[in-house]
Amino acid sequence: MNAAISARNLSKKYGKQTAIDGIDFEIPAGRIVGLIGPNGSGKTTTLKAALGLIPFDGELRVMGLDPRTQRDALMQDVCFIADVAILPRWLKVRDAIDFVAGIHPRFDRTRAERYIANTRLKPEMKVKQMSKGMIVQLHLALVMAIDAKLLVLDEPTLGLDILYRKQFYQNLLEDYFDENKTIVITTHQVEEVEHILTDLMFIRDGKIVLAASMDEVGERYVEVMVPADKVNAANALQPIDQRTVFGKSVMLFDGVSRAQLSALGETRNPSVADLFVATMKGTYA
Amino acid sequence: MNTMKWLLRREFWEHKGGFVWAPLIAAAIMVVLVAGVVGYGVGADKFQGDSVTVRVNGEEVHRTQMSVLATGHTRTEMANVAANNYMAVGAPIFIVLPVVAFFYCLAALYDDRRDRSILFWKSLPISDTTTVLSKLLTALVLAPAITIGIASAAAFVILLLAGIAVSAQGVNLFAPVLSNINLYLSPVYLLAMIPVYVLWALPTAGWLLLVSSWAKSKVFLWAVGVPLIVAVLLKWLDYMLALYGTTINADWIINNVLETMLLGLVPGAWFMDGGTALPVRAQYGADMLSLLGASWGSLARPEAWVGAAGGVAMIVAAIRLRRWRDEG
Repeated sequence: MNAAISARNLSKKYGKQTAIDGIDFEIPAGRIVGLIGPNGSGKTTTLKAALGLIPFDGELRVMGLDPRTQRDALMQDVCFIADVAILPRWLKVRDAIDFVAGIHPRFDRTRAERYIANTRLKPEMKVKQMSKGMIVQLHLALVMAIDAKLLVLDEPTLGLDILYRKQFYQNLLEDYFDENKTIVITTHQVEEVEHILTDLMFIRDGKIVLAASMDEVGERYVEVMVPADKVNAANALQPIDQRTVFGKSVMLFDGVSRAQLSALGETRNPSVADLFVATMKGTYA
Repeated sequence: MNTMKWLLRREFWEHKGGFVWAPLIAAAIMVVLVAGVVGYGVGADKFQGDSVTVRVNGEEVHRTQMSVLATGHTRTEMANVAANNYMAVGAPIFIVLPVVAFFYCLAALYDDRRDRSILFWKSLPISDTTTVLSKLLTALVLAPAITIGIASAAAFVILLLAGIAVSAQGVNLFAPVLSNINLYLSPVYLLAMIPVYVLWALPTAGWLLLVSSWAKSKVFLWAVGVPLIVAVLLKWLDYMLALYGTTINADWIINNVLETMLLGLVPGAWFMDGGTALPVRAQYGADMLSLLGASWGSLARPEAWVGAAGGVAMIVAAIRLRRWRDEG
């Protein structure tokens, strides 16, 4: 089994509204994939389909299983945070740990307790007494202590301060991830995850507009600081995006050789955020 | 099996208030009231002296003391009645159970959709079948067992208090009552009625869980409103058909179908509407052994099994619906 998730002609309609429009993609095992898209682009729907939470059309295999019919088996290997801050209000920290430890064969209690020790959570604390950020901390501590083969994180750090967000992604990479695991993350804070991603998927209006490894992205997209006198020459190469910084034009090129571009000015790898903005131009037009 | 144990614990954490504290508070109030009355009576000597007075046309013709009346055979008889029937004083506590269980079943598969925590439960390796069954077990087995435990304890304490009151009149019933085996067997007889309760309660529990799993909002309105509207429509239809000299037996449907869908959680519902006759010995008290016999006897009625089958079908439907339900 080398694909953690593979989709063929995956579609999902809510009434007349098309949420996912016949997409194909493959996520190999052992990767950290960022699924990035604007609001309402179909990210969450795609993930919910993969987690067997909603029915869909087309073909979808997750860890070799069909999430529609084999969800119970699938959940032995898969863990997810579908949305943050949704733990039941009456749940105590101590009970939450006991419960997941009792239910989940892959749960590591000492690991969960170690994560909790790094927060201000107390064992007797109930969810209804926690701030939004603390609920997320508890949820993440529980999920990160589950040794799942596939971890799906839908906006996992919403409501967390930057200190904890940084620490979380660091833990995710250093403590949690290994070559046998696959992680799929969606987030709007792209700049915070781009250094841990191995693969990138852009989704827009229910379609995949970019699916590539970070290495491929680095080869394909180049950003160039073009001085004023070379703007016309640069424009001839059809940049996909252009902005002005301190009087210099910053142009983004797709599939133009780096040697050719370095003649125009200083080249560098674009940030995922810049790439995203360029790709999603006109989304809200 | 382990998963079920934790799911039951989970239900207990969330619903301790309804299933433990509510009957416990009812029991405490009863015990305090009885203790107050007994304490006042003993303290003020109200139980002393001429307790039994016979009057004819307002004229006193005979006075005697309890202790004189209650001797030998009478004492044994009194002790026997007390030991067999003391559970009856726990009845108010059993009224709490159907109310709590009704709203528990209605909320069981709905509340976690409303607060979206269903996404957390569904992120764990727990099948929908196990989840729904854990809620059913909680409502139909765990909750009645807890209620029986609390009611038995309360009834026992009240019996002791009554014993103090009677001994203040010079009649000591402690020895014959406490040595009566039925005193200790009564709670066991009650526990032995739980399987009967489960079968008769299945249609109601099934209907409520189905609504709880299906409705997008306003679960109470759906659960109670639909049977009520159906009842009104049936009555109306029956009235119209009566003009043509025919009938669809609306009253029968209302009594047998709609009632079992809403009132099945009431303990002893099988005695309602004279469905199963109360045993003679239980009519003036609550002789537990004869009640137990009559309760198991109620399972000979086909409607018990038809209702249970309907309940099971609705529970299966609730599990199916749960599969594709997420928030909202």
